[in-house]
Amino acid sequence: MPTPALKVHDLTTEIQLSRATVHAVGNVDLEIGEGETLGLVGESGSGKSILGLSILGLLPGGGHVTGGSIKLYDRELVGMKPRELREIRGNEIAMIFQDSLSSLNPTKSIGEQVAEPVRLHRGASRKEALDRALEVLELVGLPRPRERLSDYPHQLSGGLRQRVMIAIALACEPKVLLADEPTTALDVTIQAQILKVLDDLEQRLGMATLLVTHDMGVVAGRSRRINVMYAGRIVETAPSEELFTAMRHPYTQSLLGSIPRLESDASKPLLSIPGLPPDLTNPPAGCRFAARCRFATDQCRAQEPPLTGSGEHFFACWNPVDGPAVITVSKPAAGAAPAAAVAASVISEPAPAPAAAPAATNGSAPLLELVNVVREYPVTAGALLKRKVNSVKAVSNVSLYVNPGESFGLVGESGCGKTSLGKLIVGIEKPDAGQVKVRGEELFKKRGGELRTARRVVQMMFQDPYGSLDPRMRVRSILREPMQVQGIGSAKEQDQRVRELLGEVGLPVNALERYPHEFSGGQRQRIALARALVLEPKIMVADEPVSALDVSIRSQVLNLMKRLQSEHGMASIVISHDLAVVKYLSDRIGVMYLGRLVELGTGDDIYRRAAHPYTEALIKTIPVPDPAVEKAKADVGIRGELPSPIDPPSGCRFRTRCPLAQEICSQQEPPMRRFGPSHQAACHFPLQTPEPETAATNGAGASAAPSLS
Amino acid sequence: MIGYIIRRLLTAVIVVIGVAAITFAMLHYVAPSPVYIVLGTKATHRAIEVWNRQHGYDRPEIIQFLSYLNNLIHLNFGYAYKFSQPVSALFRENAGRSAYLSGTALVLSLIIALPLGIVQAVKRNSPGDYAATAVNFTLYSMPSFFLGLILIQLLALDLGWFPPGVSDTVTSTLSAITHPRQLFLPIITLALLNVAAFSRYMRSAALDELAQDYIRLARAKGLSERGVLMRHLLRNASLSTITLVGLSVPSLLAGNLLIEILFNYPGLGLLFYNGLTNLDYNVMIAYTLLGAILTVLGNLLADITIAAADPRVRLG
Repeated sequence: MPTPALKVHDLTTEIQLSRATVHAVGNVDLEIGEGETLGLVGESGSGKSILGLSILGLLPGGGHVTGGSIKLYDRELVGMKPRELREIRGNEIAMIFQDSLSSLNPTKSIGEQVAEPVRLHRGASRKEALDRALEVLELVGLPRPRERLSDYPHQLSGGLRQRVMIAIALACEPKVLLADEPTTALDVTIQAQILKVLDDLEQRLGMATLLVTHDMGVVAGRSRRINVMYAGRIVETAPSEELFTAMRHPYTQSLLGSIPRLESDASKPLLSIPGLPPDLTNPPAGCRFAARCRFATDQCRAQEPPLTGSGEHFFACWNPVDGPAVITVSKPAAGAAPAAAVAASVISEPAPAPAAAPAATNGSAPLLELVNVVREYPVTAGALLKRKVNSVKAVSNVSLYVNPGESFGLVGESGCGKTSLGKLIVGIEKPDAGQVKVRGEELFKKRGGELRTARRVVQMMFQDPYGSLDPRMRVRSILREPMQVQGIGSAKEQDQRVRELLGEVGLPVNALERYPHEFSGGQRQRIALARALVLEPKIMVADEPVSALDVSIRSQVLNLMKRLQSEHGMASIVISHDLAVVKYLSDRIGVMYLGRLVELGTGDDIYRRAAHPYTEALIKTIPVPDPAVEKAKADVGIRGELPSPIDPPSGCRFRTRCPLAQEICSQQEPPMRRFGPSHQAACHFPLQTPEPETAATNGAGASAAPSLS
Repeated sequence: MIGYIIRRLLTAVIVVIGVAAITFAMLHYVAPSPVYIVLGTKATHRAIEVWNRQHGYDRPEIIQFLSYLNNLIHLNFGYAYKFSQPVSALFRENAGRSAYLSGTALVLSLIIALPLGIVQAVKRNSPGDYAATAVNFTLYSMPSFFLGLILIQLLALDLGWFPPGVSDTVTSTLSAITHPRQLFLPIITLALLNVAAFSRYMRSAALDELAQDYIRLARAKGLSERGVLMRHLLRNASLSTITLVGLSVPSLLAGNLLIEILFNYPGLGLLFYNGLTNLDYNVMIAYTLLGAILTVLGNLLADITIAAADPRVRLG
C-alpha cells in the first residue's frame, strides 16, 4: 500500500438552507495513496461532488464541514486558516470540473488561465508562467499549443477545453487531483482520449487521484478501489474487481444491473431501481436505500447499518446480496416497491415481444423512407450585404427506411447530424434535397389541414425533460394540447385519453393538476413520452430520451419505452450518442459520422460484425463496467477531433481519423455495400467481406428484408 | 467590423429621417407656421400671409419637409426666431456645457456604481446590501427635479456648502470646468440617479457571474477573494452594464433638461425649454433629432465596446 497522500476520516458536511439543512455527506472515510486512483461512484445528489468540494474547502454558500478530518499527508485541512488553505488549493490539491465551457473564464485567453496558478503559487513572472503553461498544455496533448495560447475558450472544442482544464489543474504539479466527472460532457471517442491523458499523467507525476463519476464504465479500468456513494453515505467500498464481481450492497448490484450493455441480450428488461433517492433535508431513520431496496426488512427501515466487512471490502447493509443479480422474470418482492408516485414495475417488465413482425411482405412500402436526404445550414458573411459563403453539411445523402412496428436506432457523436436528421423525419425542418416519405407520401407536398393531419403519424420525444415542457402549463393541458390542435374528441374524451395515458406511463392521476417543475427528471420524461403517444403515432422519434437522467432512473424509462412501443405496435427511431442505449431499444441501427450514414445493420451486425472502422472504434471506446475488459484496452480508439462540418474531408469523411485510410479514400466517396441480409456499410476497406455485388443497390432502402435475426 | 459600422450608420440615417418626419408632422399639426412667434398674435392677416410666403410656409407640407431635409444634409438646422440666431450656432454654443455636465455625471456614477454593485453582490442579503438597495430604490423612483430640490434645500440653503444654482458668470464650457463648486449640485443630482440604476444592474449581473463555474475554478486555483473579483468577475459582470450605459446616453440628455432648468445651467436642455415655451420650431425639431442620433450612436457604441471587451462577440 503506497503512502496515503489524502486521508478523509468520518467527514460530515451539511448545507444550511434558509429553512432546512441538507445532510449532504455523512461519516465518510477514504484514503488515497500516492500514484493511486480511487473511484467514487454515485448518482446526482449522492453527495460525491460535495465531498470533493469539502476537501478543497470550496463548499457552496451555507455549506460547512461539521465533523471529521481531512488530512493532506500530516496536515489537517479541516479548520485550517483560509490563507493557508489558499496556498494548498491549485498547488498541492487541484480539481478538474465537469463542464469545461462554463468552468473557463470566457474573457481570458487559455494561456493566461493556465499560467495563473503558476504565477500565484510559484511567484513566476508573466513570461515564466506562460512558458510553463505551454509546457503543461503540451503535456496534456493540446495540438499546436503555442498557437493556441492566446485563444479563448469558446474557440476550442469540448475535448480541447477539457485538456486545458486538466492543464490548469496540473500546472503546479499537485499531489492530489480531484477529478469531478472529468469526461461526462464529452463524446465517447474524446472521453477515451482524455481518460488516457489522465492515466498517463497520474503515473508520471505520482499523483493521488480521486475520480468522481456516475459512470461505472469510466472507473472500472482505472481505479484500484471503488467507493459507491448513495444519499451522502458510502455504502460499499472494495477493490475494483471485487466490487464488480462480488458486490454485497443491493444498491451496487442494482446500479450495475441497470446499465444497458452492448453484449447483453436486448430482449431482457433491465434491472431497475424503483422510486427516487431520499430527500437529504430529512433523511430516513434507517438505511437510506431501504425505500428502494428489494431486500429491505423492518430492521433496515429502523436502524442504519454500519460499514462492516473484512479485508479490503466493506459494505453498509443488513441483508447483503452475493454478487451480481441474475435477472429473472419474476414478481418483485411484495411490499418492496414504495408507494411513491412512480411506476413500480421493476423486474417484472414483460419481455417485449420480438418487435411485432414488421410487415415483411415483399413489395409493401416501408412506413418511413428517406431517399438521399440533404440538409445544410447556411453560413453567411459580408460587410454590407449578407451572402451565403458556405454551409454546415448537417445531413448529406442519407437514405434509410423503417418498417411498421420496427425500432430503428441512430448513433453518432455530437455534431454528426443525428438530431438534424430527427428533425427532418418529424417534419420540423424541410430537407434541402431528397425526400422524406411517410407511408409513401412526402410530408412537405401537403398543405394546410392535410399537413396537420399528416403530422399525427410521426411524433417526437425530446431530450431535455426540463426545457421541452412548458413550465406554465399543467400536465393535463400539456397532454391535451396535441388533441386540441388536431381537433380530436370532445373535452371529456380528451380528458379520458389523458388519464389512460398517465396510467400507461406510470404516473398517478393527481399528476394532472401539477406543473412540470413538481416532477423529477425521470417523471418528466414519462410525461414527455405520454405527450408523444397522445396522438397514437405510427412512428415515435426519441432524441436522446434518457441522456439527461441518472442511471437508476434511466432503466425505468428505457423499460417503459420498450414496453409501450411493443404494446402500441409503433415504429420508433431512437437517437442517441450511447450505442448501448440504442442497441437495447432497437432492432436495427444506423451509425452516422459527420452527416453521412456509414453503417446500417441489426444490433448484432453492428456490435459483433462491424464493417466500418468508425463503428468498430466507437464500440471499442465505450467504457465497459468490467475492470478486466477495461484494463485490457490498449489504445484509445479514435485519435483527433471531428473535422468541421462546414468543410468536410473529401471522399470518405472518416478518412482523416481512420487507421486504414489510403489514397482512394480521399478521392472517392465509398458506396454503401451489402454485408448481410440487412447489413450495409460505406467503406473502401471494410473489416468484413462484402457480399458479391448483385443488382445495383440503391442506398439503403432497396430491400425490405425483415431486419430481425 | 468596418462594414458592420457602416451598415449600422446607414440604418441610423434612416432612423433620423423617420424621426424628423414624425416630429415635423406633429409640429405642423399643432401650428402650421411659427409666424405668431415672430410677428406676435396681433399681426394682421396680410402681414402673416406675406411672412409665410417669404419664409416658404405657404408651400405644401411635403415640399416644406423635403426642403427641411435638404437643409439638414447641409447641417443647416434652420433659424431660431426667438433667439434671432441659426439653430446650429446655438447648439454649438450649448452642446459643450451639456456634454460636460452629462459626461462628468456619467463617469462619476460608473465609478460609484460598478464597485457598489459588486460589493452588494458579494455581501448579498447582508444589512449593508439591504440598506444600499433601499437607498437605490428611493433614488430610482424619485423624479430628478425633486432630488435636485432636496439637495438644494439641504446642501445649499441649510448648510450653505454649495450655491443653489449656477450663477450667470458661467457662460462658456471652460468657465463651467473651472467652477466646480458651481456645478457640484447638478452633477451630483444627475450622478446619484444613474448610480441607482447602474448599481442595481451591476448587482444582478455580478450575482449571475458569481454563480458561474469559472468563479469556482478561480477559487480552486487558490486565488484570494479579492483576486477572484478583480481578475475574473469584474470584466465579465461589467459586460451587461455596457449595454445599459449605451442605452442611457439619450436619457442623460433628457435628464439634463430638468436639471438644467432647475439649476439655471445654460445647456441644450435649457435651450430646448426656452424654445418649447416660445414654440420655436427649429429648436424643437433639432433637439428631438439630437435625441434620436444619440440613441442610435449610444447603441452602436455599446455594441462596439462589448465586441472589444468580450471575445465571444463578433460583430457582423
